[in-house]
Amino acid sequence: MSETKNEYKLLLPLVPILAIIPYLALVQGWESIDAAIFIVAAPFVAFPTILILGQVYNKNKTWKNTWKEGGILGLGALGVSLSAAIWILFDYLNGTAHFADHSVSHWLEWISFDVLQSDYTMTETRILGMGVWIDSLTLMLMFVATFLCFLICWFAIGYMTTDPINEDSNHRFFAEFVLFSLGMFGMVLADNFLWLFVFWEIMGLCSYLLIGFYYWKDSAAKAAKKAFLTTRVGDVFLMVGLFILYDIYGSLEFSVVFDDPSTGVGGALVDSGQMFWALTMLFIGAVGKSAQFPLHVWLPDAMEGPTPVSALIHAATMVNAGLYLVARMMPFVDVHHHGIAGLEDFGIMVAYIGGITAFMAASIAFVQNDIKKVLAYSTMSQLAYIFTGLGSALYFLNTGDYHAGYFVLGASLFHLFNHAMAKGMLFMASGSVIHEVHHAHNLLSLSHGDGDHHDFDPQDMRNMGGLASKMPVTATAMMFGSMSIIGIPLIGGFWSKEGIIAETWAAYFHGESAMLVPAILILATAGMTGFYMSRMWFMTFAGKPKNEVVDYVYENTPWIKEPLLILTLITAIGGFALALYGVIDFLSNESTHLAMHGDHGVVDSIITQLEHAFLPEDSQIRMVGWVTIFLALFVGPIMAARIHGGSLKDGETATPIVGWLVNLSGKFGTQDVSSLAESDLAEALQNRLYFDDLYEGIIARTVIPFADLCAWFDRNVIDGIIKQIESNSVLGSVQIRRITTGSARDYILMATVGALSIVALLLGVSN
Amino acid sequence: MIDPSWIAGLGVILFGIGLLGAFSRSNGIIVLMCIEVMLNAANLNFVAGAAHYGDVNGWVFTAIAIAIAAAEVAIGLAIFLSLYSTQETISLDEASTLKN
Repeated sequence: MSETKNEYKLLLPLVPILAIIPYLALVQGWESIDAAIFIVAAPFVAFPTILILGQVYNKNKTWKNTWKEGGILGLGALGVSLSAAIWILFDYLNGTAHFADHSVSHWLEWISFDVLQSDYTMTETRILGMGVWIDSLTLMLMFVATFLCFLICWFAIGYMTTDPINEDSNHRFFAEFVLFSLGMFGMVLADNFLWLFVFWEIMGLCSYLLIGFYYWKDSAAKAAKKAFLTTRVGDVFLMVGLFILYDIYGSLEFSVVFDDPSTGVGGALVDSGQMFWALTMLFIGAVGKSAQFPLHVWLPDAMEGPTPVSALIHAATMVNAGLYLVARMMPFVDVHHHGIAGLEDFGIMVAYIGGITAFMAASIAFVQNDIKKVLAYSTMSQLAYIFTGLGSALYFLNTGDYHAGYFVLGASLFHLFNHAMAKGMLFMASGSVIHEVHHAHNLLSLSHGDGDHHDFDPQDMRNMGGLASKMPVTATAMMFGSMSIIGIPLIGGFWSKEGIIAETWAAYFHGESAMLVPAILILATAGMTGFYMSRMWFMTFAGKPKNEVVDYVYENTPWIKEPLLILTLITAIGGFALALYGVIDFLSNESTHLAMHGDHGVVDSIITQLEHAFLPEDSQIRMVGWVTIFLALFVGPIMAARIHGGSLKDGETATPIVGWLVNLSGKFGTQDVSSLAESDLAEALQNRLYFDDLYEGIIARTVIPFADLCAWFDRNVIDGIIKQIESNSVLGSVQIRRITTGSARDYILMATVGALSIVALLLGVSN
Repeated sequence: MIDPSWIAGLGVILFGIGLLGAFSRSNGIIVLMCIEVMLNAANLNFVAGAAHYGDVNGWVFTAIAIAIAAAEVAIGLAIFLSLYSTQETISLDEASTLKN
């Protein structure tokens, strides 16, 4: 591909679009918060534009090569969103803008109405508006969403437009992509639950459209349906939760609800039982969206979509929505700030769901051979960590231990950030691997003259191995991403995962015996994460090539490497840097800006941070921390290396640290696990612990008979009544037809008689 | 000036003639003419009333009624033309396919 260099010229038309936000900031002197509307408006404009232009100019050369079938437009729109988001972020971080009033910028009153009460009086007008709500949670997710959407769109330009099976339909992809981004941006910025729900549903729709992008494939169509229906189960509960909230507070505006959560409409004290159900309903919605047990079944199947979509759903947007919703619930339980006491059980329930999902997903990930499926289960597992952390935060805040509560809340949200960055990169890197392996296979089958590549699965790791020297950038990126997910000390996810595990144990040590189960589960999962992530990396990049295709793999598709490099940098050093700047306090709203601890310079700050991470004062917590590090750093990866590791071949080179790691993996000897792979447990894990079969069985026994019953009722009762009316009227018409003569004169007579009768009637009435 | 009740009586007679003709004749054209007679009976009443009460509305109504009558005749004649071209008759007695 010699035109690699020239491709970036295509970005030139974007310069005026990207200049909008700097122009408003520097020349027009806008407030950053007023630009928030651009974050949503830019994709809102781009969506129909790409769709219509794509339909009109389909197959047009300029459209295809210069505009990349709309990809460049989408990138421009997301660039505007990103620049606006960064502007707002900087204004808050350097103190130009303040959280004091949560910076609600109210754009308009969307619906306003009076309420008729049971004693037939009207209450004051209630208003559902739309606006922006900004606190540290919003800022973090806004940055994650806009930044990753932008990078993934960049990646998708390279990935989708060189994919031969998407011939001329990529405008559909890019249009749906920006709509999906719009959903996430809007949801994060919304200042009331109603708009949050509207954008939440936009995401649900787009997940359906994008997972089913290859709609001609039966499996993709089914996966799309499954994702849509499963999340819909959660959404119904979410709606119920919103109804209860509205009933309690008489409003869904954050500013009204969070002002004083302990008093409802008219100053009535809020009942903790009612609140428990409201939060539980909202939580079920979050469980569906974030693919937690028991509504997790859709997520692995969602891998049927194109790889950029997997990255988008798993890192930047959809699954974070559920976490966002749960993180939003904190004011309800925070007893130090007008929260409602007596909701500890809710926090424990959240932690249990998280713990169970983390363990279950990690164990299923052990046996997956599809590179994307491993990542999918890893997403589930890591999100479950965050849920466990949020559950602990809910518990602590409700029992009054707000220091621990805020710390674990901050750690959970920091893990969300680390996970999003690492997982976004991992998916793009896996996309790069899949893409190049697929291309190599096409090349190979061309040179062999056999056009048969239907049996070959480019996503199957059993076809890979030894790619470290072929794809240096991807191998490095994936290594740092996996390290961040595993929680290798000093890298990315370590800083946040450690906090979650420690505080969940702390909840147990402080006397809540029920927290023992999630605490043990997530501790074990730390080691399991070490195993399955290392297994995936070693299977793909280390050892001997398992297929001749590997020799033909080259890393040369344009547009793919840049996002990987940027995210590798963030994953490798971003976690540590942000931890140094007190991001955990920032995210839990305890401090309003990022700053280093103390005034004693960088070195001192680093030492404090390391001390805090490795040598906490509480000896029990220190023990937990060291066990976690031992499991994640040694047990898991070494087991994986024994099974799948292997040195580089002579004469092959890889980037320094990757080469070292690959050669290291060859030194642990080998272990044959084929007997294990045939055990019942492996079989059960292969079948995803039979959850799909279970749900299918339940649906077959309940929903389908009920649907049959409804169909019978419809056919025989409703249709029966209508058919009876129809046949009766036919019979009646036949009878009436006898008296018609067909003579015009008779009709005139009848018309006259009719007119006279009407006149007579009118006269009778008026008299 | 003539008493309006006389004119009203004339209108009733004209209307009766028209109605009787419309009932009894089988020739479609004649029936159309009878309908015109009935319309004009009504117009006569309008004009008489307008003259008697000095109200311009009566004349306006008459003008509109004449215009509508013209349009109605045009449609009626068109129907009979097409009836003639398909059935070769304009006798209303023979055009009775609506009968079961």
